[in-house]
Amino acid sequence: MKLNAFTWIIVTLAVTAWVFILPLEAVATILVLQLVLLLYIKRSKTMLAAIGGLGVFTGMMILLQLLFGSPLNVSLFGGLRMLVMTLAFLCMLATTRIQSIAKALVDRFHLPVEYAFMLTAALRFVPNFLEDSTVTLDAQSCRGYSNRGNALKRLLSYVVVIRPLVMRAVAKSETLALSMELRGFGANTYKNMPKEPFTIVDFVVLVIVIVLSSYPFWKKFLF
Amino acid sequence: MNSVVSVTDFYFKYLRSDLVLKDINLEIEKGSFTVIIGPSGAGKTTLCKSITGIIPYYTGGDYAGDVKVLGETTKGKKVSDLAMKVGLMLEDYESQLVSLTAGEEVAFSLQNHGFPPEEAEERTRKALEDVGLPGRESYQLDELSGGQRQRLALASLLAVHPEVIVLDEPVSAMDPDGGESLYKLLGKIREEYGTTFIVVEHRVEFVLPFVTDLIAIKNGEVAAQGKCEDVVSCIYEDAELRPLLPDLWQIKCNMEEKTQQKFALWRSEDEAVKELKARGFGKGVRA
Repeated sequence: MKLNAFTWIIVTLAVTAWVFILPLEAVATILVLQLVLLLYIKRSKTMLAAIGGLGVFTGMMILLQLLFGSPLNVSLFGGLRMLVMTLAFLCMLATTRIQSIAKALVDRFHLPVEYAFMLTAALRFVPNFLEDSTVTLDAQSCRGYSNRGNALKRLLSYVVVIRPLVMRAVAKSETLALSMELRGFGANTYKNMPKEPFTIVDFVVLVIVIVLSSYPFWKKFLF
Repeated sequence: MNSVVSVTDFYFKYLRSDLVLKDINLEIEKGSFTVIIGPSGAGKTTLCKSITGIIPYYTGGDYAGDVKVLGETTKGKKVSDLAMKVGLMLEDYESQLVSLTAGEEVAFSLQNHGFPPEEAEERTRKALEDVGLPGRESYQLDELSGGQRQRLALASLLAVHPEVIVLDEPVSAMDPDGGESLYKLLGKIREEYGTTFIVVEHRVEFVLPFVTDLIAIKNGEVAAQGKCEDVVSCIYEDAELRPLLPDLWQIKCNMEEKTQQKFALWRSEDEAVKELKARGFGKGVRA
């Protein structure tokens, strides 16, 4: 059972809205469903680290709200909302290829191709950037760069690593732009990608989205 | 001569620079394996970019003269349309890869040029097979080694079936084995499809078995061009260009100078030893 990228985008956007309109119990249920889904898809260290990282961030948010004088229940609900919203994006990225998301954004949401391509290009160059940063760090260490001292001193000395790293990234981006020009990047790029058809599951999910999103309207009649 | 690239009275300068290419007149024969040599900064990469239409239509700059590819001038042509006839692999081939998986990378140009998905898929499969990466369509780029990524860049050029492929220092960052195997692959592709190759190369020893033509560039001008057999001695006479010739050819030219005899253009050490032995050289010398 695989959802279409368009459906995932809609679900993700809907979840960010639901956390504000649905009652606490429903939001907590969504959180449980998200965790089950994520662990079902990939029970790896990376996934656990990602969920754990978001959990820590949520804890910090709750703490900050408490420090600024918000009541405990408001702080907890605020943290829960944020966690559910970010996990929705994590679910989408874990289940859908970024290329499919980019294609759906261009085809269905009319996002300009250049912006959609940035999504894939960013992912494509993350490993290169990490590799470059290691090489630059090593090279500058040979020239006397040291990350000792207080935080400010370390931050300032890091400039000698950032500068060449940025220059390399700019040079690479120029080559990438030339490569894209040579290969005819443009409106056709996403149009001619293989189509991902809608299935019955997509329609069912979209109906659920509509039903839950209209909760504020129909709850008046039910309760 | 059946030429696929013809450059006539071509001059070029980048914005705010001196002339980079001066009075370039070239003919590149169909099916040839042409190697461009020259000192650093001589204008080799600029010449490659001129042949592919990137210069001046993408980079800007002032130019005079004409560049024709397959009989058509590059003037007013879109760089991507020209790339369907002349593929270019840049020195930094890593940054030339734009997609996340091998299959998408090869299919990228095809999709952009409106090929139907079925044909794009078939061409992708064949191109990957041709470069020795069969069945690797779903591989992420970081799952491939440096050499495999270079082959992938080549596959993405091959998929559009260009008649000419230009490579700018393709083995500059490779070990000798990797360099040798890439050129063997290019030789095989040339034999199979009759593709014309134009290669900028500092280490000509890698291309010895395949090279048919040489172009020597010096200070933005063509110092020598033609069939290897005809131009090697001319290049050898130029003190600045001489070190760019492979050792084997330098030895040949030196011996020709010293002995006043003509030798064949050796493609390998074995060939050289065979000819020298046949002519009585090294008799009485113990190995």
